[in-house]
Amino acid sequence: MTAQTKPDSAEIEIRDLSKVFGQGAAAFRALSEINLQIRTGEFFTLLGPSGCGKTTLLRVIAGFEQPSTGSLRINGKEVAGLGPNARPVNTVFQNYALFPHMTVAQNIGFGLKMQGKPRAEVEATTAEMLSLVKMEAMAERRPSEISGGQQQRVALARALAPRPRVLLLDEPLSALDLKLRKEMQSELKRLQTETGITFIFVTHDQEEALTMSDRIAVMSAGKILQLGSPHEIYHAPSERFVADFIGDTNFLDMAVKAVNGTVAEVTLPGGKPGTARLPEGFLPVLGETVTTVIRPEQVQMVDAGQGDMDAVVDNAVFFGTDTNVHLRLDDGQGFVLRRQNSAETIEPDAGTRMGLRLSPGALRVLKG
Amino acid sequence: MFNRNFSVRRLPGFGAIAIFTFVILYLPIVILVVFSFNSGLSQARWEGFSLQWYEAAFNNRQVRDVSIRSLWLALVASGLATVLATLAALGTTRVSRFPGRTMIYALINQPLMVPEIVTGIALLIFVAAIKVQTGYTGMGYLIAAHTAFCIPFAYLPIRARLETMDITLESAAADLYASHWQAFRYITLPLLVPGIVAGFMLGFVISLDTVVITEFVKSAGQDTLPTYMLGQLRRTVTPEMNAIATLFLALSLCIVTAFFLITRKRGA
Repeated sequence: MTAQTKPDSAEIEIRDLSKVFGQGAAAFRALSEINLQIRTGEFFTLLGPSGCGKTTLLRVIAGFEQPSTGSLRINGKEVAGLGPNARPVNTVFQNYALFPHMTVAQNIGFGLKMQGKPRAEVEATTAEMLSLVKMEAMAERRPSEISGGQQQRVALARALAPRPRVLLLDEPLSALDLKLRKEMQSELKRLQTETGITFIFVTHDQEEALTMSDRIAVMSAGKILQLGSPHEIYHAPSERFVADFIGDTNFLDMAVKAVNGTVAEVTLPGGKPGTARLPEGFLPVLGETVTTVIRPEQVQMVDAGQGDMDAVVDNAVFFGTDTNVHLRLDDGQGFVLRRQNSAETIEPDAGTRMGLRLSPGALRVLKG
Repeated sequence: MFNRNFSVRRLPGFGAIAIFTFVILYLPIVILVVFSFNSGLSQARWEGFSLQWYEAAFNNRQVRDVSIRSLWLALVASGLATVLATLAALGTTRVSRFPGRTMIYALINQPLMVPEIVTGIALLIFVAAIKVQTGYTGMGYLIAAHTAFCIPFAYLPIRARLETMDITLESAAADLYASHWQAFRYITLPLLVPGIVAGFMLGFVISLDTVVITEFVKSAGQDTLPTYMLGQLRRTVTPEMNAIATLFLALSLCIVTAFFLITRKRGA
């Protein structure tokens, strides 16, 4: 088994897909006009708050729900209308859903047995999967006799055993404690690289999404708001929701003076001129106020009057590696700055007046 | 008013009431068992230990016949009832909501609500009409009546088990390429066994016990043990009845113990 990432080939292709639950006045649109291509061999994450539709989308891909409209292709084959047992896709459930009356080995071999594979092959693959997730010693135990982290591994092995084209993971780490979760994150990444199977991972944990994914789709209210690499999602959020949901963010309102290609010339709070990058395909109206975004770590403290903006310190919150300095800009807008700490750094006092220097290119205009 | 630290254990007289209740419940049974070993005819005066009434019961051909009839009737009726109840439970818990589902619950549980005597008389009239039309007077009527009567007792524990079962297990089976039938065969059914066993045991005991239904439906020569004993008691009460009752008590204790052991082992 080797990783076989082919950037151009679409493992899953979703076109104009929507899902409506209920009818008439009680109808609820869980997914609307989803268009998505997931590449072969990538670690793809659906990220969003609860109720955003990410789990519904996963269930539609798995076949537990059928789309109301639109098409869903897996490896080029239309699967809308097929049941979960007719799709080359396996799921790791949030609660693991291990069969309590079977041993660990029987759980892992179940999919192969249902596919009608010969007994010798079932046993060989089960043994291989047990060693892949390092659970050889637990083969004859029941799920109730192993720990949560071990159950997690068994659930993974069970879903990987039939060698699906795509593995779906529905918040599989949410039931684990922090330390185990970190361990399983790298374990998942290792398994994905070793097997070369396309992973679709659902989570509401932005940090988890950023660490593990090749690409992330940020979802809200049944729609995909932004699709991109973790780097793009973090550094170039296109919408306020995305910027707000991922990481800490400063939102600043300011007027646009001129547009120069992909860059807008703006008036910063306090009156100095500045530049902000424009999102693709967005042209602001000159003279109007736009919302811009800048991450707290992309700002440096300088002497008052020396930076792009001036601000007064409200308070400073120390948390080990960093300190968050909460400030108030001259026009009254709040602002947070993150400074990395060393043994020498001291916290600024409340009321101190200081200048802020924005990292070049860090300020971005949001679409809405 | 009860305060926060209210505990039923500290209620004055709780222990005494508990003991009194147990005495009321079990003393008559203990007396029945004790006098089944009495060497005399009396139900009130102990005259020495003897197994003669057990011997009499074993040698009584009629007792043997009605006992066997009771047992196989209970076995067949509760078996059929369990199969039907399992299907009904699957139909009311594993199928998407349909109009009239609550109505179906009520209909399935009808024998629990309607007084037994009403069911008995209704069956008497119904069965009599069929007997006249067809001339058939076999055990079919008793089997049908007992089966119908046992269904709700089998249905309730099976449905309870299905409702508490994690439905994602069946989703997981389907995800792992199991067909509907395979998911049922390998996942739902094995996990349902404790419920099915409980339903079967309950149905068995109910069928073994019912007097009213049997009395109204049976044809000549179709006495079950309860209706036979009722008939005997109208004449004289001998400790032979105590002996038969004691044997049945032992049988039901065995069933309950077996049930307990089976569900404890399988109910993961």
